Amino acid sequence: MFNKILIANRGEIAVRIIRACRELGVKTVAVYSDADRRSLHVAMADEAYHIGPPAPGESYLVIKKIIDVAKHSGAEAVHPGYGFLSEKEAFADACEKEGIVFIGPSPEAIRLMGDKITARKIAQGAKVPLVPGSEGAVTDVEAVGIAKKIGYPVMIKASAGGGGKGMRLVRKQDEFESSLRMARSEARSAFGDDSVYVEKFIEQSRHVEIQVIGDSHGNVLHLFERECSIQRRHQKVIEESPSPAIRDKMRKKMGEVAVRIAKAVSYRGAGTIEFIMDQKENFYFLEMNTRIQVEHPVTEMITGFDIVKWMIRIAAGEKLLLKQKHISMKGHALECRVYAEDPEKNFLPSPGKLEYVRSPSGPGVRDDSSIYSGYEVTSFYDPMLSKLIVWADTREEAIKKMDSVLREYIVLGVRTNIGFLRRVMGNDEFIRGEIDTGFIERHPELLKSNGNGIELALIAAALAIRNSTKEEVETATQAKVSNWKLFARKLAVSGKIAI
Amino acid sequence: MIYTFKFQDQIYRINLEDGKQTEVEIDGKKFPVCFQKIDERFYSILIDGESIGVGILKKGKKVEVFLNGELYEFESISERERQSTSAIISGVQQIKSPMPSRVVKILKNVDEAVNEGEGVIVIEAMKMESELKSPINGRVKEVKVKEGSAVESGSVLIVISSE
Repeated sequence: MFNKILIANRGEIAVRIIRACRELGVKTVAVYSDADRRSLHVAMADEAYHIGPPAPGESYLVIKKIIDVAKHSGAEAVHPGYGFLSEKEAFADACEKEGIVFIGPSPEAIRLMGDKITARKIAQGAKVPLVPGSEGAVTDVEAVGIAKKIGYPVMIKASAGGGGKGMRLVRKQDEFESSLRMARSEARSAFGDDSVYVEKFIEQSRHVEIQVIGDSHGNVLHLFERECSIQRRHQKVIEESPSPAIRDKMRKKMGEVAVRIAKAVSYRGAGTIEFIMDQKENFYFLEMNTRIQVEHPVTEMITGFDIVKWMIRIAAGEKLLLKQKHISMKGHALECRVYAEDPEKNFLPSPGKLEYVRSPSGPGVRDDSSIYSGYEVTSFYDPMLSKLIVWADTREEAIKKMDSVLREYIVLGVRTNIGFLRRVMGNDEFIRGEIDTGFIERHPELLKSNGNGIELALIAAALAIRNSTKEEVETATQAKVSNWKLFARKLAVSGKIAI
Repeated sequence: MIYTFKFQDQIYRINLEDGKQTEVEIDGKKFPVCFQKIDERFYSILIDGESIGVGILKKGKKVEVFLNGELYEFESISERERQSTSAIISGVQQIKSPMPSRVVKILKNVDEAVNEGEGVIVIEAMKMESELKSPINGRVKEVKVKEGSAVESGSVLIVISSE
């Protein structure tokens, strides 16, 4: 096992990795930008080093800076988390050259799967069905032609993409040109590469993915599926496992297919094979993410398999102890991503200072977050505040539990999607498991509060105003008392001295 | 005492009476209320035995109440203000940046006609692009920003006047 690991990330995933390292008895090194001096991952790590200005392009994405810190601190391995450098072949390559272990797949596997076109070819070779679309990156003229050929609606996707960035759904030809421009422009600023490809858009599709994990001894396991169909702006908001739409036979088949794809690139570490599923239970290969996934906790909850710890063990050369037949699932897990955003304004991010945070807890509840009262949500990074995960015996109970813990959450200072998430938990279609990637678009009524609590909220507001006026009066009266007396009284109240 | 609040452009009034015990008036009936601070911004409120736990943030006239997963943003207004408030609807609309962002593309230039719901400017924040739309039919009167410029939350980007 390693003595020391550098975590080339920030936010909740950096905290998650630090926790895994501690459990394994490994020292941790954090890196931080100017905007993150007060972030939790810095306070929790054993060592922390400043790597530059807030813009990721000048800090978290600069390979040389990360490598320098690793060398300076004596870290033997680097965990990239998700986003940032996690799927950059050049980073995995640079680590290898410097004799630092990259906790993840080989640079080769990242390259093969990172290029969506090559990934499609590999999937084809492993006899996995594919969505009709362009063979590769296309010029503007080719794109229009292909869209016409496969028929609208189509999806424009960034070749270097991920996380919904540089992605546009086009329903009609006259929207194609402007969507193509926006997709390219977004792809350029997010990935520094504006090449895109075009795919048939499958109506009412579900997004189902299989978690895989491989070691460097040729073993690959799958840890069942996650359903991530509840999305906004092509980004997942609610994930669960198992999927309410998948039966045992199909689960087995998808798992085998996923393992086949992973084995085709001698996959090492944790990875996710994403599929799109139509209403007739046909599934098509979408892409492979060669990193830890945001929604990995739901899989951990139903399998009891600690994915992050095993990523580290595998990178250290350890062999997977379990065989596929030993992996089983129990109960149902749900994850809600709590964002600082405004559902009423098309889920626009709502940066600002968190004036107050009160997080829920209880049996079967996991809150993967890195926020606290006073934390500043900046516009430099993703506005995710927390991942709230619950586990229960059945899906029905998990939904009720999620609703209950969302109700406990309090965040003041920014707008959040907590109310929206609760409304989804109460939606009949969601409860019946009748979900697809168009769910949120189909339910605009969920974006807005029904205003049921307005009367109680008003009473609270009036009481707060009344109380603050009273406090002001009291403070004004107290000002005549000697400050020394006040000081002594404060100490007495806090229990520091006895009068 | 009557407390007046604005919530989503609606005026709400609520009566709290201070006696031996504070009472709140709901539908003409009075109920005892008890307000207890738990920590910095978390309060326990008992209304005739009904218990709620709420987060409250008071910033000047703004009162944010977080209750059962929902955020209520109230503006406290005095009686005098309430009487003098009369909405002046002008034919001039300002397109403001809803958050700190960067201008990606200006879609309409000065003197160009725009329809209600038509995009006038594209901004980018947190790597996501959004198109801001005109709320009225009219003509662009002023473009206050350039492509590529960084803007603060609430800055006026484009001014549109109805014809």
